Order: sequence, then C-alpha cells, then structure tokens
Amino acid sequence: MLEKEQKLLEILKSAFQVEGKVIRNRRVEIWDHKEMVPAILLMVKTQLGYKHLNHITCIDWLEEGKFQLVYTVFSHTDKLTLFVKTKIDRDPAIMPNIDDIWDQANTYERELREMYGIEFPGLVGDQEFILEDWDEMPPMRRDFKTDVYAEKTFFAQPGREDAQDVRETITKRSGEEIPEFAKKYSRD
Amino acid sequence: MENKRNSQTIAEYIKNWSRKHSLFIMAYGTGCGAIEIPATLTSRYDAERLGIRGAATPRQADVLLITGYLATKTLKRVIRVYEQMQDPKYVIAFGSCTINGGMYYDSYNTINVLEKYIPVDVYINGCMPRPEAVIAGFQQLQDKIARGEADNGTRYKENLEWYRANQHRVIKNWRMPDYNW
Ligand code: SF4
Repeated sequence: MLEKEQKLLEILKSAFQVEGKVIRNRRVEIWDHKEMVPAILLMVKTQLGYKHLNHITCIDWLEEGKFQLVYTVFSHTDKLTLFVKTKIDRDPAIMPNIDDIWDQANTYERELREMYGIEFPGLVGDQEFILEDWDEMPPMRRDFKTDVYAEKTFFAQPGREDAQDVRETITKRSGEEIPEFAKKYSRD
Repeated sequence: MENKRNSQTIAEYIKNWSRKHSLFIMAYGTGCGAIEIPATLTSRYDAERLGIRGAATPRQADVLLITGYLATKTLKRVIRVYEQMQDPKYVIAFGSCTINGGMYYDSYNTINVLEKYIPVDVYINGCMPRPEAVIAGFQQLQDKIARGEADNGTRYKENLEWYRANQHRVIKNWRMPDYNW
C-alpha cells in the first residue's frame, strides 16, 4: 500500500529536505520556501518524469497575510499527482517565474498576476489578460469587496412595492410561529 | 376611412401585422439561456410556426435575444451588435440575471439591470425560462408590435445620451465604432 507514494516522498525529502506527506492513494504533497520551488519543479520534471503541469492555483490566507501557491504536476509513468505548495507574502507578492520550465505556466502566471496581483519577475505577456479596463484592486483578493464594487458600478433594481417576505406570509397563512433562532433572517 | 383599431391607420396596421409575423432573431448566446434557444426553435416547440427564426447577422435581424447574465466584456459586444441592427428592432431579455442581476447581483464583472444600457421590450423571468415561457414572451412582443407600441430603436435614439452615460460607467476605455443605425 502506498509504496510508490512513500518512495517519491523519500526521494524528495532526501534531495531537498522538504516537508511533506502522502495525502492518499496517488496524491503526494510537499511544501517548501518559494526560492526552492523552481528547483524542485525542474528536478521532478527532468529526473522523476513529472512532465505534466496540471495547474497553478492560489489561495488567499488573508488573516495570515500570505498567499499559498499550489503547483500540481502529474507523472504519466507513475500515475501520481504531486502538489508542490509554498506560502509567499501578500505584500509585496513576488514569486519566481517558472515559464522556462513549462511554457504553459506563462498563462497561469499571467492569470495570477491579474487576479491576485502576484508579480513574477521576467514574465512576458500583456498586463491585461482576462479582464478589460480593470483599474481596481485585483478582484480575487479576499479584501476586494465585490458587493461594494458592484453596488457602486452597476445599478441595483429596486424591490417591488408589494414584495412579501415569503416565510412570514406562509407562516401567517398556516398559523405557525417562526422559531426564535430563525427570526434574524426575517426582513424587518 | 374608419378602422377597428382606430389608433392606427390602415397602412400602419398592415405594416405592424406583417412585422409581427416575421421576427428574425439574433440570439446572443450569453449566460445559461442559450441552451433554451435550440429547443424553442426546433421541432419540439417549433417557434417557426409563429414566424420566429434565426438570422445570420445583426443587419438581417429584428429581435435581439439576450439570454442571461452579461459580463462587462460581453456588454461591449452586445452594444455593438445592437447598434448594427436596423430599425425596427426589438430586444427580449431572458432570466432574472438581466432583470436584477439574479444570482450574480454582487459579482464584480456582470451588469445587473440590462435596461440601463439598452432598451428592452420584453423581459421573460425565470432562471432559466423554459421554451413555453420563451414563446409566451415572443407572443407578448408580437402583441406589442401589433399595438404599435414597440419602439425600441426610437427610444434608444431619443435617450442616447443617457444610455451612453450608463455604458461609459461600465466600459471605461471606450473604443467603439459608430454605426449608421
Ligand atoms: S437567470 Fe439563471 S439561468 Fe439565466 S443566466 Fe442567470 S443564472 Fe443563468
């Protein structure tokens, strides 16, 4: 059970002194400092056969002041998925560029630059990727208040005069009581 | 000459009658609603028996269907399509997303009320409206045309400044061609 996974973890641990664990069958994760990530990725790609970069994702840990980047790579020979995780500062958010290891990383990095404002030194490509004419904070950051932005940019439709609170109307009709804990969801 | 629909002249009546029976639609397939259009137009619900059929280009179309939420990027394209259409033109908006933003009311990249950017003749509510509702919406539009009340193009022209101001709020970098509608 999980021999392949344990073996991969052993190799990586001895090569880089990374921390890591076997999540489950066919899933291994390791985490390290951001400076080490390109080296780890290059090594697993060229020597261990993890040729396929599935994707790069970002998680915003606002309370910690960190972004977590997750690089997911896959080996077609071992049929194993490896997650390489790292945490970087939110401000300023700078991450080594890896698009010389995988060309397609360029697309993901441009998206992360636009949506989270993470800078990748040396990244080639237009600043504008998916959004058009965006001049606010990068929208996927958790401190970007999307409802406030929507309220000030778009028009809200006023509610109908005769709009009724559905639950109150129904409980009144059937002579029931709204329980105490649920009262806070009523309109007024 | 006296006619039964005494608000209209005979010529107008005939004009509206023929317009209402040949609605060429430009289905702008945004949002989830595009999936209801094939069902509406093909054999199950067969909207063509009411004279509703697809048009290939905006210039040939009478009715613009907005089938769901509009991203701010999409709005730009919709305005271009709408402005290329020739009078008489009508707009039908599908689903709660075009009415008040629907479940995307607080999204940073979808507009909420379509009416503020282009004039709308008929709203069909639902999330998503079924083909029966779509056909009912078309019939409502046909009634409106027959009564001579569908004046989408004129409304746009008369209130162009107001519409433009609203459009500029969303499309900050305005690089749009002028069309001769
Ligand atoms: S109203 Fe509902 S079905 Fe229609 S576009 Fe919005 S979310 Fe989709």
